[in-house]
Amino acid sequence: MYAQIHSATLLGTQGHPIVIEAHIGKGIPGFTIVGLPDESCRESRDRVRAALLSSGLSWPNRKVTINLVGFGERKGGAALDLAIAIALLTAQEMLPQSALDNRAFIGELGLDGTLRHTTGIAPLVMSVASQEVIVAHVDAAEAGVVHPHSLRVGNTLLGVFECLRGEREWPDVPAALEPTSSTPVADLADVRGQEFARSALAVAAAGHHHVLMIGSPGSGKSMLAKRLPGLLPALTQAGALDAALVRSAAGIGVEDLVSTIPPFRAPHHSVSMVAMVGGGTAQMRPGEISLASGGVLFLDEMGEFAPSVLDALRQPLEDGVIRLSRARGAVTMPARFILVGASNPCPCGESNPQLCTCTPSMVHRYARRFSGPLLDRFDIRIVMQRPAADALIDGTPGESTAVVAARVARARSIAIARQGCSNADIAPETLDHVAPLSDDARRHLHEALGRGVLSGRGYHRVRRVARTIADLHDAPDVVPLAHVIAALQMRCDVLSRPVML
Amino acid sequence: MTHGYSSDKVSQLLPSWTYAAALASLPLQTHTRLRRLLSDQDPIEAWHAVVTGQYSDPRNPEHVRDAWTHVDRQTPQKMRDACMQHGINVITNHDAAYPVLLRDDPTTPSVLFYKGALSHLAHRRVAIIGTRNATRRGRYFASQLAAQLSVHDVAVVSGLARGIDVAAHTGIRSLETKVGAPPIAVVASGIDVVYPREHNVIWQYVAENGLIVSEAPPGTRPEAHLFPLRNRILAALSEVVVVVESSAAGGSMITVREAAKRGRAVMAVPGAPNDRASVGTNALLRDGCAPVTDVDDVLVALSMDHRNANTFFDDRAAPTNEEATVVNVLGNGAATVDMIALSLGVDVLHVAVCLGRLESKGWVAHERGWWEALR
Repeated sequence: MYAQIHSATLLGTQGHPIVIEAHIGKGIPGFTIVGLPDESCRESRDRVRAALLSSGLSWPNRKVTINLVGFGERKGGAALDLAIAIALLTAQEMLPQSALDNRAFIGELGLDGTLRHTTGIAPLVMSVASQEVIVAHVDAAEAGVVHPHSLRVGNTLLGVFECLRGEREWPDVPAALEPTSSTPVADLADVRGQEFARSALAVAAAGHHHVLMIGSPGSGKSMLAKRLPGLLPALTQAGALDAALVRSAAGIGVEDLVSTIPPFRAPHHSVSMVAMVGGGTAQMRPGEISLASGGVLFLDEMGEFAPSVLDALRQPLEDGVIRLSRARGAVTMPARFILVGASNPCPCGESNPQLCTCTPSMVHRYARRFSGPLLDRFDIRIVMQRPAADALIDGTPGESTAVVAARVARARSIAIARQGCSNADIAPETLDHVAPLSDDARRHLHEALGRGVLSGRGYHRVRRVARTIADLHDAPDVVPLAHVIAALQMRCDVLSRPVML
Repeated sequence: MTHGYSSDKVSQLLPSWTYAAALASLPLQTHTRLRRLLSDQDPIEAWHAVVTGQYSDPRNPEHVRDAWTHVDRQTPQKMRDACMQHGINVITNHDAAYPVLLRDDPTTPSVLFYKGALSHLAHRRVAIIGTRNATRRGRYFASQLAAQLSVHDVAVVSGLARGIDVAAHTGIRSLETKVGAPPIAVVASGIDVVYPREHNVIWQYVAENGLIVSEAPPGTRPEAHLFPLRNRILAALSEVVVVVESSAAGGSMITVREAAKRGRAVMAVPGAPNDRASVGTNALLRDGCAPVTDVDDVLVALSMDHRNANTFFDDRAAPTNEEATVVNVLGNGAATVDMIALSLGVDVLHVAVCLGRLESKGWVAHERGWWEALR
């Protein structure tokens, strides 16, 4: 009257293997789940009962106890339905315990006994990949991306039951999703004019620098941001898998689950804190920043985001991961992305100060929406203006994505070979070693510090950007003056604080 | 009256000016009502009459008289404390030291609050005023003009508002060691209420090195209606009013009207025809104002010796030929890096480097990424 079975539960973007014990004994008929189940897990009683009865299998009208063992945190999700149902059948001695050895069961049951799609199947399967994993037929392609030791599928509870009894052959397993690189990313050549912004974008891609674009509506901020993933090197196999695990855990995008194109996420400005950084009561789902990991997080109309949401980005921007601590446990999820912000310069949207109709106090109030510490994280801050009509109509098309991406890839590999990380991550104490300044460049920077146009933190950031610009231009060992000046220009004080002179 | 108010008793403790300050801070007070109140009685008598309800001017509406009888009787003490805490002086138009320029004014402020030395008003005085929403170029011109006037021992009067006003006084402050005439400011709020707040450094600089004047008692918020009233004092204190940049209906135009009423000369700095910030000044020029293109013009208007006016020479390093072409492009108006690169047909990073060099030499400046030449 006892059975034990392997399954897995999801927390954040990680699956955790657990063991489910089932015991059927004497006593008042009832059903208890112990071992820190959450609400959706308790509901599985009703689903499992209905599924068993619909499948013509018996429900034990006795005292049933289910125990979730292992993984000290609260366990959640409907992914345990199949395992609980099979455990009950085994405890009723309709299946031998040996049929469950070295097998893990992950799947949600419908009331009619069908096996349903389970959110986060890829990380769940990954946590039990050394065993033979039984999942729903619809989940097979998604589960296959983590290449488990052996994968079996079933359409219904009854089907799985019969296969386990050896009364029927296991159905064929659909092929795993293959990495795609076909999603068309718009070409950089489509952007007419905006030479400065385009070169800034190349610098951002090469050095992994965050970019803030300030410009009038229609100046092409979103257009440029959407082309940034194309400039980044394609994801490695491991990188694509990481991205796929996050997407699977978030329950989105089965078609493009495994893609070597760096992700691009552009949440609307009404996004909540939980949707942005991850969390939530049920499962600690990954947020937009984890979905953007390895790629680009684009915040259009950045001033419209809730200030608390923006400031929550500061820690992940520094650490490359997001650590969430809740009562039910702590989760670390990937969050290494290039942040691209876009905003109008002022309420009227006209970036040219001579045509702007806003009063200085309106501009000041608008600028105050961005906290200083967040603005400081943007290594590159540029102003964009609507391109002139002649640049739009017969301007020569700029360099294509392929050309710029090749240059970016070269600069990135130079940086990796030199210091083992992207330029944006160079530690301040090693800057003098990996990005020494020429004498005149050093003088210029010190003078900028003296005039107060550059802060102490800005000093290091400008040096990193200058290093990237140098890497894009023949990569001299010593960063010359011109590249330092260019880096300073790319860090312009785009949201003007009140100036008296 | 055992517990009543005794003016004799308190007057032994508090000087007369505290009552004048208290009267100025009465609710719903205006300069006209204050002038009537103090026309034929001294501040102590007037205060006593007001708080006991004996003063009832039929020209004051009912609700004003009503408000005045319910006023806090401790106000003179509070005013004394506030003025002493912030180092603010109070003077009435019956005092001998009251500025003659204002005493004869038809709308003379009966009570004046100030910080600094009134003796600075003995200098030649030129007001430099203009829009709060000024261009970089306008602010640069204002600061240079103010510094040069100061070097010629002409005191610059301004309102310490954003834009042109504060640029003028910042120009004087940037003279550092060079000795010049003191800055004079006329503000609308109480002298202890720095508005806008980011001007607190320059505010303090003016108070310490020159003179800040206000009609408003300490603690007065910068209400919108106070600014036109401030402008009449500013106009009265100046010999010449120079408008650097102004929109067609800006606050500067109020100062211009007040200056015209008092027979003060008004001069304007010409701007480009289509320039938003120069619509008002160009209209003034069309109406016959004298133009100001450099400090000479103002010195001539003051009938001062301007032969040595060019002692103030440009100490910026000359731009290279290449940089000069960029400055020339900016002569057509503000532009972004892209626009400059497009019109010169050169690489955009190259232009960015040129601008960076010019910026550190002081030839160009940018606001929100739009570059302007400083000439």
